[in-house]
Amino acid sequence: MRLRRHAPADVPPSIDRDVDLEIREHLHRRTRALVAAGATEAEAGRRALAEFGDVSAAREEIGAIDARVDARRRGGWLAQFGRDLRQASRLFRRMPGLAAVVAISLGVGIGVNTIVFSWIESLVLKPLPGVSDAARLKLIEPRAETGSFPGVSWLELKDLQAELTTFESVLAARMVPLKIGEAGRSERKFGQFVSGNFFTALGVRPALGRLIVESDAAEAGGAPVAVLSYEFWQAHFEGSPAVVGQPLRVNDRPLTVIGVTPEGFIGTMSGVSFDVWVPGTLAPVLQPGSMELASRGIRGYSAMGRLKRGVSMADAQADVDALSRRLAAAYPSTNRTVVAEVREFWRTPRGPRQFLVSALLTLQAAMLILMLAICGNTATLLLARATSRTREMAVRLALGAGRARIVSLLLAESTLLALAGAAIGIVLTIFGTEMLRNDLGSLPRAFPLKFDTNLSGLGVMVAAALAFAGAALFGIAPAFQLARIAPTASLRISGTAVARNRLRDTIMAAEVALALMVLVVAGLFFRSYRQTIDTDPGFDRAGVALSAYELRGPAAQPGATRTFIADLLDRLRALPGVESAAVAVSVPLDIHGMPIRRFTLEGHTRPDGEDEEALTNTVTPGYFETMRMPIVSGSTFADMRDASAPPQAVVNEEFVRRFADGRQILGRRIENGARTFTIAGVVRNSLYESFGEPPTPMLYFSYRDRPTPTGEIHVRTRAGQETRLLPDIQRLVRGIDADLPVFNPRSLSGHVDSNLFYRRIPARMFIVLGPLLLALTAIGIYAVVSYAAARRTTEVGVRLALGATPRRVVTELLGETMRVVALGAVVGWIAAWWFTGRVDAAVYATVPIALLLVAALACWVPARRATRIDPLTALRQD
Amino acid sequence: MGDDLMLLQGTLDVLILRALADGPQHGYAVARWIHDATDQALRVEDRALYVALHRALERGWVSASWGASENNRRARFYTLTRSGRRALARNQKQWASYVAAMTKALGQA
Repeated sequence: MRLRRHAPADVPPSIDRDVDLEIREHLHRRTRALVAAGATEAEAGRRALAEFGDVSAAREEIGAIDARVDARRRGGWLAQFGRDLRQASRLFRRMPGLAAVVAISLGVGIGVNTIVFSWIESLVLKPLPGVSDAARLKLIEPRAETGSFPGVSWLELKDLQAELTTFESVLAARMVPLKIGEAGRSERKFGQFVSGNFFTALGVRPALGRLIVESDAAEAGGAPVAVLSYEFWQAHFEGSPAVVGQPLRVNDRPLTVIGVTPEGFIGTMSGVSFDVWVPGTLAPVLQPGSMELASRGIRGYSAMGRLKRGVSMADAQADVDALSRRLAAAYPSTNRTVVAEVREFWRTPRGPRQFLVSALLTLQAAMLILMLAICGNTATLLLARATSRTREMAVRLALGAGRARIVSLLLAESTLLALAGAAIGIVLTIFGTEMLRNDLGSLPRAFPLKFDTNLSGLGVMVAAALAFAGAALFGIAPAFQLARIAPTASLRISGTAVARNRLRDTIMAAEVALALMVLVVAGLFFRSYRQTIDTDPGFDRAGVALSAYELRGPAAQPGATRTFIADLLDRLRALPGVESAAVAVSVPLDIHGMPIRRFTLEGHTRPDGEDEEALTNTVTPGYFETMRMPIVSGSTFADMRDASAPPQAVVNEEFVRRFADGRQILGRRIENGARTFTIAGVVRNSLYESFGEPPTPMLYFSYRDRPTPTGEIHVRTRAGQETRLLPDIQRLVRGIDADLPVFNPRSLSGHVDSNLFYRRIPARMFIVLGPLLLALTAIGIYAVVSYAAARRTTEVGVRLALGATPRRVVTELLGETMRVVALGAVVGWIAAWWFTGRVDAAVYATVPIALLLVAALACWVPARRATRIDPLTALRQD
Repeated sequence: MGDDLMLLQGTLDVLILRALADGPQHGYAVARWIHDATDQALRVEDRALYVALHRALERGWVSASWGASENNRRARFYTLTRSGRRALARNQKQWASYVAAMTKALGQA
């Protein structure tokens, strides 16, 4: 303390030095001046001091002033951190390679996490764009005994609205395909029949005019009004306000446009956007003959309710259960076996949402582990780098920097790297969500799937949070490691004394474990996608062109439908290059599935006396040939023009296995909807609703027996040629009926593929991320080994000089690191097993082998280089 | 001595500002200028000059930077800032009116 003279403890040493220098300079000059004027050296010195006054008092006084000035200039700790950041930015210039690897890898980690998060957010957190307080909206889903969700009927909706006490309001909507526009220029669009309170209960406000209100849906056939979507209004009316009050032809009926929904509102069916909303009471007008307003058996409305505040899901469920029991007692024919579930909106049983959400949650978990692995890798890199910065830090400590300052500086470096990573991540997210949208945009237009996958404010916050959490994770270990060193020790000893660095080994092992987990998950995703692609669905995907149509008005009468289809098939088969053609109501592996029907089979009874159920499809003769589904026994359907044959059915092998009770199935009769069909043939099993489904009983009917106004045209041609055929099909259909809407042209393989997007997208992400992670791990290991080897140059030199072979030295260096890597790999391997719960021998074998090979190479290169050194040079260092 | 200093505080401040009005100077040159300009009448220690100089720094009247002096030694140079110039003008006016008032009062006696 005596040596510190009179400077107050809080005066920084540099200020002290400056004040000293200034005073000494003054005294020196004054002495010189006096000597020049004739004084002796000694006398001049004395006079200069006397004129100056008390030097130490001056030093203290001036030092204190300058310290105040300095403190003010520096500002608070925040300003200090700002200066640290600026200083840290020098890191980028000094080690551009390291900074680039860290920033880019963090950017990728943050980017992929934010992409997946944005997607989940759009599905789960913002499922209903444009709807206020969507979190309180819950689905009310009746469930049939068979586990299917048939929706509610219009009359049942009235009961729900009148009797449920736990909901503020109950609303409902039903998807309906509509033909919009004048005859000859009509378009097919999707709309929703809605309950009168639909918009008011959702809290949607019109962009223009007014929306449907209760009085619009007060009586059957009433209120010929329509509400347009913002997008439809923009596209068809150029956003003109004059649209309100204008007539709009819908299914050849004149309706009046009353308003436009706000931008972004897409209706209430997950992932599907609608263009037109009309009151549900218009059903008999727009679909002549519809009984849905009067029949409790005709379900199809999705009901949802806004929970009253403070009401739990369990309370709501109890309320709904009680009502279900009352309805079952009052209407046994339609409600006896129906119960209802209250569900979160994103858990809708219809459409791909629920499946998509669970796939995305898995993906998000994998991406978070990827992020952890990247942080581990970054920590490894920084630690490796830290060993070579020991001396820099020792100098800083020796120059009086506190340990807190060093930690702060190093954390500033980490923060800066994380910020750079976040910036890259956000840019990646913007591109990534754009790509995702385009990918989703390539889905069939007929079901206008829509996901609002924009980067939101919340997404940016997630990216920033990941960056800071990452910085804390990977920054703290190197920071404390460097701050712990003793200033003197590191100055004296150069690079030679190397203790094995336990912290670094632990982090490296953890990183390898995490990387292995992610790679295994990636492998599993990819394999399952490949397996799905390679699975034989039981029909031949390649070479089939698909187009949908819908008959209207008189053309939709059964007789006309039969004639139309027979005519259509003749013309299609006459097209050049067409091998066979057929029409079917449903296409297999559609995200919306196939209709389920109840039936009884002659000679088969269930123990409980109930009807059996099976998936059904209605097809024309030529369907099995076109799909290349082999007929196992019996025959296919009779010709469309054959009026004499009895109504027929074709079943699949699983149907036979389950219901035939070991007896001949051909010729037995099936009853469905009060009609009798004779089983004419058995077709081989195929996939109907999803990949990976168990064999499912299937029942095919013929268009001849069940003429249906809608159909999907199937045309088989040479594989690869199917898309060229699509315009011909369109032209041909227009040739029969110019006003017939033909839509959704696509290939069967494209149809199947697009319904796999929730598997395809993760698989694609991992195709990029897997090798990237492998490369990052390699870079991390490479850095550790090369820094370690560089620090041991002398040791290596000595050992080489003493006669050790380079090979042996390499083996030892390799062994040290590979032991750590192998330990990490084993831990990761077991964790991956536990995490995924799936065993796939190929993935579990190849991934660790690939990782260990890459790691070994990343070790070997720097180790080998270390032994190339001339022993004498090595010994002369330091 | 201390009493003198207190009395002369304002005087020193304005003299320092005046010394720097013609351009940047190091501390020694400021001290010499003040001693010479006042014909050695102002008997203050150099220490007081330096304290006043650094206080001017704290007030933002002058800025300081290290540079090489005319004989190439390291020296701390002081430069009048904009607010320093304003303070000098203000002080000069105050001094003029103060001196005028004192002269007038003493002349009447």
